[in-house]
Amino acid sequence: MELLFANLAHGFSVALSIDNVLFALLGALIGTAIGVLPGIGPVATISLLLPITFGQPATTAMIMLAGIYYGAQYGGSTTAILLNLPGEVSSVVTTLEGYKMARNGRAGAALAISALGSFFAGSIATILVAASGPLLTSIALSFGPADYFSLMLLGLVISSVLAQGSVIKSIGMVVLGVALGLVGTDVQTGQQRFTFGIPELSDGLDFAAMAMGVFGIAEIILNLERPEVRSVLSTKVGSLFLTKEEWKRATPSVLRGTVLGSALGILPGGGASLASFGSYMMERKMSRGKADFGNGAIEGVAGPEAANNAAAQTSFIPLLTLGIPSNAVMALMVGALIIQGIQPGPRMVESQPDLFWGLICSMWIGNLMLLVINLPLIGMWVKLLQVPYKYMYPAILTFCAIGVYSINNSVFGVYQTVFFAILGYIFAKIKMEPAPLLVGFVLGPMMEEHLRRAMLLSRGDPMVFVERPISGVLLAICALALGLMLLPGLRKKKEEAMAG
Amino acid sequence: MRINAKDLASGLLLVALAVIGLWLNTEHTLGSARRMGPGYMPMLVFWLELGLGAIVLAISLRGGSDPLEKWTKLDFVTLAIAIGVVLVAYPFLAAMPALSANWYALGISLLIGFAVAAVSPGWRKLALVLAGMTVFGVLLEQGGLFLAITAMVVVAALAEPKHRPLGVLGCVVFLLALCWWVFIYELDIRVSVWPTF
Repeated sequence: MELLFANLAHGFSVALSIDNVLFALLGALIGTAIGVLPGIGPVATISLLLPITFGQPATTAMIMLAGIYYGAQYGGSTTAILLNLPGEVSSVVTTLEGYKMARNGRAGAALAISALGSFFAGSIATILVAASGPLLTSIALSFGPADYFSLMLLGLVISSVLAQGSVIKSIGMVVLGVALGLVGTDVQTGQQRFTFGIPELSDGLDFAAMAMGVFGIAEIILNLERPEVRSVLSTKVGSLFLTKEEWKRATPSVLRGTVLGSALGILPGGGASLASFGSYMMERKMSRGKADFGNGAIEGVAGPEAANNAAAQTSFIPLLTLGIPSNAVMALMVGALIIQGIQPGPRMVESQPDLFWGLICSMWIGNLMLLVINLPLIGMWVKLLQVPYKYMYPAILTFCAIGVYSINNSVFGVYQTVFFAILGYIFAKIKMEPAPLLVGFVLGPMMEEHLRRAMLLSRGDPMVFVERPISGVLLAICALALGLMLLPGLRKKKEEAMAG
Repeated sequence: MRINAKDLASGLLLVALAVIGLWLNTEHTLGSARRMGPGYMPMLVFWLELGLGAIVLAISLRGGSDPLEKWTKLDFVTLAIAIGVVLVAYPFLAAMPALSANWYALGISLLIGFAVAAVSPGWRKLALVLAGMTVFGVLLEQGGLFLAITAMVVVAALAEPKHRPLGVLGCVVFLLALCWWVFIYELDIRVSVWPTF
């Protein structure tokens, strides 16, 4: 316990340096802005800014990128409540009750509870990350290559089982991602694989080009093809203060949302959107005001908003302790770390204490800043929506192009982005979820390493994956997760939850 | 029997990519399970993908209807010509010594392809946005950052009929100033701002 406080103190000393505070603020501001704006999400933004982080120290870069992720959760709820317009997937459910509250003249209360609930959940989740980090790390250090392989397999399986849409197609996307990760020089023999004699491909496909193409550019084209929906703010914000009755109803929902969100965030494949859907379902069944659901029940705002923020925070746990990304945003974080020359994994707590503790503490500071910048500045954020998309997309395109060029100072990166944009466009048209692709791409090379090492140690006996207790248990969970999805009843439940 | 066209296309895509992957992988040594060669993991991955693709195909046959967007005749024709033009133009241009450096041949042949595709309204937005990005790639090294950004924004702006010339000009000026400040002044990426001859 004392050690934890000493570590947190160290973390705050890192996070409170002027540079880090400024970049946490910058990240939170960018995050809020893209959270408010529909049509650009955290995945596209973080991949856009990835090249800019090269020159920064690793800790500062991670602090800024993390700020974007949780900032987006705050921003998304603002437009969901005021305009019935979810800025992010995770705030889709907030529109259900939040917009109704705004219609009833309680927009201020809905905004206040979603900000306060998010702050509370974020604080609890931060403590959770701090406490569980070293603990999980010490367990992870006893992992052998076989255990690692199984753990990553579990991450891939669960992230595809929980992804939106068809499970089998998601698994297909994961495998496709792993396949794309094979391109480049084979680490052990130095042989070129799938490079077609192109020297630029010997380091593999460009991660940033892939993320920007599939998420950023393809999204622009799809947005342009859809007719633009212009929305005007017609509801008044009203008083930000909650009545006594509202406090009484919202508090238990915030607590439940925090617990559920924290748990779902840790799960590989979990994350903010799953948590907010889950919490909404739970509140509809459990809360005192369940009769009010559909007519602006404050529980339906408080719970999901707390849950999505808690999950955004705790989804850093598998990344920071095991080096395993649990969703597409975390896959980008792995990419950012690798670019910085840091191999994410259990040794990071020991070898990069500044990064680990500094990042955790900055999350709390960032949450505090978000509370301050969100509530008084709501009017300004809503104004942002009045910028027409026709002025926004050239800017996104420009940042993508320059960013991807600057990674290797080669225009080949630009053409790779074009290629991935076409691919992303096709995926969208045939309903293939692109997020698992990114996770597979990041995990693929690591899995090959561990598979080779495990098989070398076991002299080619694949039974090692079942015989080692840790690996065996992980594989059993994989099988269970896949088996459960074959049950039609459960599959239907999942579809319901995903559809909100 | 109602075929789910989106799933059918997904399955075909997975199977096709897996088959290409397996075929390309024949040039890598497999090794044994104990000492895996460079071709071992690709083999596992592509067989798995082939299997998954086959399952998706099987499911799609009874998946209930989820049709793809309708393509017009023009969409088909322009897409076929565009792909054909790129495939013909690239080796031709790559053989020219003046275009061998810097991926010029790839960039220019892609541009021709996008220009053909933009003829059909169905592909216009896709083609023009990507053509903008490609123009940026072609112009950057010789033409400098400012020219490349200007050309990219102008071409990409054509994708949105609501754009007016004055708005595009404002967009260009704003982005030039912003990019100069962020990428040249602050980050100092190694790229020339003005054309070099």
